[in-house]
Amino acid sequence: MENKQTSILILDDEPIVGKRLKPSLEKKGYEVESFTRSKEALERIEERSFDIVVTDLKMEGMDGMQFLTLVKEKYPDTEVIVITGFATMATARESYNKGVFDFLAKPFKLGEIVEVIGRAEAKRKKSREA
Amino acid sequence: MSVLDRIRRLFGGKKKETVPFKILFAEFKKSLELNNQILDLIADANDKLSGDYIFDEQYIQYICRKLADLVRQLIVTINHLTEQKYAALYISFHKIEEEIEILLRGRVLGQIQDYILPYSMISRTLTDSVGGKNAHIAEIGNLLDQQIPDGFAITTEGFNLFLDENDIRDEILSIRRSWHRSEIPVDEASRRIQRVINEAEVPPKLQMDMLAAAEVLSRRHKDVTPCFAVRSSALGEDEISSFAGQYLSRLNIPLQEIPQAYKEVIASLYSPEAMEYRLMMDFRPHEIMMAVACQLMIPAKVSGVLYTYDPVRPENETMIVNSAWGLGEPIVAGEVPTDHFVLDRRPPHEVREIQIVHKTTTMVQRGCGGTGIDGVQENQRRESSLTTHQLQKLAEIGMRLEKYFKRPQDIEFAIDRQERVIVLQSRQLRLQQKRAPRACDLSDLEEKYPILIRGRGIAAMEGIAIGPAWVFSEGRDLNDFPMGGILVARHATPQLARVINKAAGFITDVGSTTGHLATVAREFRVPALFKTENATEVIADGEEITIDTECLTVYKGIVQELRYYAIQEEPIEEMYEYRLLRRVLKKIEPLNLTDPTAENFTPEGCRTYHDLTRFVHEKAVETIIDLNFYHAHHRDTQAGKLLWDFPLDLILIDVGGGIEGSHSQGVRPEQITSVPMRAILDGMSYPGIWDMAPAGVDFSSFMSSLTRTSSVRSTSPEDVGRNLAVVSAEYTNINFRLGYHFTVIDAFVSDNVLDNHIYFRFSGGVTETIRRSRRTRLLAKILSHYDFLCELYGDIVVARLKRTDRERMMTRLFLLGLLVGFTRQLDVEMVSEETIDIFFNKIRTIMEHEHGK
Repeated sequence: MENKQTSILILDDEPIVGKRLKPSLEKKGYEVESFTRSKEALERIEERSFDIVVTDLKMEGMDGMQFLTLVKEKYPDTEVIVITGFATMATARESYNKGVFDFLAKPFKLGEIVEVIGRAEAKRKKSREA
Repeated sequence: MSVLDRIRRLFGGKKKETVPFKILFAEFKKSLELNNQILDLIADANDKLSGDYIFDEQYIQYICRKLADLVRQLIVTINHLTEQKYAALYISFHKIEEEIEILLRGRVLGQIQDYILPYSMISRTLTDSVGGKNAHIAEIGNLLDQQIPDGFAITTEGFNLFLDENDIRDEILSIRRSWHRSEIPVDEASRRIQRVINEAEVPPKLQMDMLAAAEVLSRRHKDVTPCFAVRSSALGEDEISSFAGQYLSRLNIPLQEIPQAYKEVIASLYSPEAMEYRLMMDFRPHEIMMAVACQLMIPAKVSGVLYTYDPVRPENETMIVNSAWGLGEPIVAGEVPTDHFVLDRRPPHEVREIQIVHKTTTMVQRGCGGTGIDGVQENQRRESSLTTHQLQKLAEIGMRLEKYFKRPQDIEFAIDRQERVIVLQSRQLRLQQKRAPRACDLSDLEEKYPILIRGRGIAAMEGIAIGPAWVFSEGRDLNDFPMGGILVARHATPQLARVINKAAGFITDVGSTTGHLATVAREFRVPALFKTENATEVIADGEEITIDTECLTVYKGIVQELRYYAIQEEPIEEMYEYRLLRRVLKKIEPLNLTDPTAENFTPEGCRTYHDLTRFVHEKAVETIIDLNFYHAHHRDTQAGKLLWDFPLDLILIDVGGGIEGSHSQGVRPEQITSVPMRAILDGMSYPGIWDMAPAGVDFSSFMSSLTRTSSVRSTSPEDVGRNLAVVSAEYTNINFRLGYHFTVIDAFVSDNVLDNHIYFRFSGGVTETIRRSRRTRLLAKILSHYDFLCELYGDIVVARLKRTDRERMMTRLFLLGLLVGFTRQLDVEMVSEETIDIFFNKIRTIMEHEHGK
């Protein structure tokens, strides 16, 4: 059995998201890095890959859509989960077209995102076994 | 011209001709629709505070602006309906909206301009200006006829003046910033900020006001030497946060030293513990403020703390008292052993348990020159510090305060030389969350692991902790405390709270469940075992230990079998966003207008969006009834009062074919020809449904019923509420207010399946959350079983049914009638989870009996 921790990168310019998510995901055994600036998150992505990326869509400075596009280009295997406070069908559809794994509207329950992350993790496992 | 006149002119216009009922009714329905949207949104926002959600400031802003928009529309609508009769609502609305905007811009509302307020002028509504301690104690003295120390508050305005006149805000901020950036350690930051504060001057205006207020106090109490106590009074939202008790108090000082003491107390806002705590809780600079309490010193013979519930085991229905001789400071600080009493919550409050400890030292007043520690006289050392009579008296006071504040209370008290019980402070008590019970004799653990402590001490917070022991002794630096360690100390002193985010557990020789450290341990869910007598002797520094506070046991080594239990549930994090949402909800959610016959049931009396919504709803129903029933009837409507055996004050308005025959004397049920209305009334009059006798009301529902202003069980029509049904041959729109439940039914039944619909909405009911949630789940279960599409928002249930044939529609309406009669008492009766199934089956039996399905 592979024992490697699943790694997760969280990017949201609202600090509460990372603050709240990071400790609970770490407690569940994930390796988590959290960023509020897309520039720093991008630099980190240049350095290493993550199994799962959780990102906001609408942020100051850089568009989340741009960020997830770059992530997917560099690491097609990385599953991207989009969270945003401005859920519209158009943005949702666009992000799905970019190969996003799932889409979560803010505010969401901690349990909801943990469940989505669990599914993303299962999908990765399955595709690796296949 | 007043604002009101201008608004009237703006919206008034010339006198209208009689508006057709159809248009009025459309307006009325619009107001209902808005009313529902607002209440759903409020329930939704409230739900976000449960701790399960992640939300950001954008969400809070969205909710506030959306609500403001809907409430504004609602006010426009009621003024259309009433020809601008309630234009004054705009004024109340703008005031609330502005207050919310100020909060959203990141400021804390100060409600007054005064720097000083005497207790006689303070009530709880001023909490944001005078802090929780001042507000509560003043209200207890003013309204409950209970002895309190006389005093005054130095407000947050005074605090702001102190910072501004000395121009030290930026300096404090920059020191704080260097610490946040890890440029300097917390102790240095604390030292530097405290020095800035101590070197500043209390502004002459503030100083004069303080001394003048103290003079007044001295003159009023000539019989005692005027010595004062200066304490912090934390801000409103800290009422249940445990940090409130940890700031400095200056006791027993003469009048002229008050300004100096004030500076010292506000400097303690920047103690290293307080700074760490705020960092953890994500406090913003604008939230860091302190109000101060200045009180006449009580020469206490005995002091102590009363909890109106056992915070660790609330299900025991007991109260806890800890007390000792002399002044209270060392008692709440956990520095001296205290006598421990357990009392029955029920009158006559029998004493269930007594532990008298050996009391050797006591804190006493030294004239007006501070305090000192004396030895206790030999004959008092083993004597109980409280008599049975005093305990009973305390229990009664505790119950009275709990009833008044509607929450379990944590009360500090003193007994003076005249044997009077004086309440020094009362605040909300945090109870431990209920966990699954676990057997203490789990297995043969004792054989496998050496036991260091067994059966001694008290659990201040139940749970399992595993980690290396770190024994705190003189000269050791708390900054060296390791992550995940178990702190072992002689006394349960508040300073230990500083390591709360690192500690896996606490063990002390001396301490009580009513001390500050205990409160902090519960807030952060860190297991804590106090009063073990000799933990510091039997536990060696650095050794791995396992503590099981529930079983009062400490094992040497790591007990693998208990590891599973050591994983603590996540604490609900106190982030800035939570506090901001809670603050804005204070302007949105509380309902002050509960009684339509009360004096404050006016546009001016509306203090929250909920009040405005409630007011408009009442007036909308009233207007429709007045226009059609009491006053000049509309040509296109008929109206009459339902003549019925049940206590339902229902006005029927017929817009076509809903009622037959004469109704000048009222409408008999058999005169109703409206198809949906008949079905609903059939359900409501089902034998036994309406009169279902309430079960014996037990204590906790009694507690929550205290929030009601009149009895739900009262059956006089005035109290039952004004109820309205607009009917036609095929249509019914019902608005019921039964006691504190609001029910809306909108139904259309014809032979055309595509046109048929039922909308049902149920809300309100004053009882504790668990029962409300059971009631909500029961309703959802029943309604879903009978094909309704259900949505739940907080304790609101909305159910819809569409495109269903006539016969099925009729049975569903009959069901809704049953539910209306039946839910009146439901929340009181839903004492356990099983009641959900019991009531569900009851309803199904009736339905099968009546409709064969």
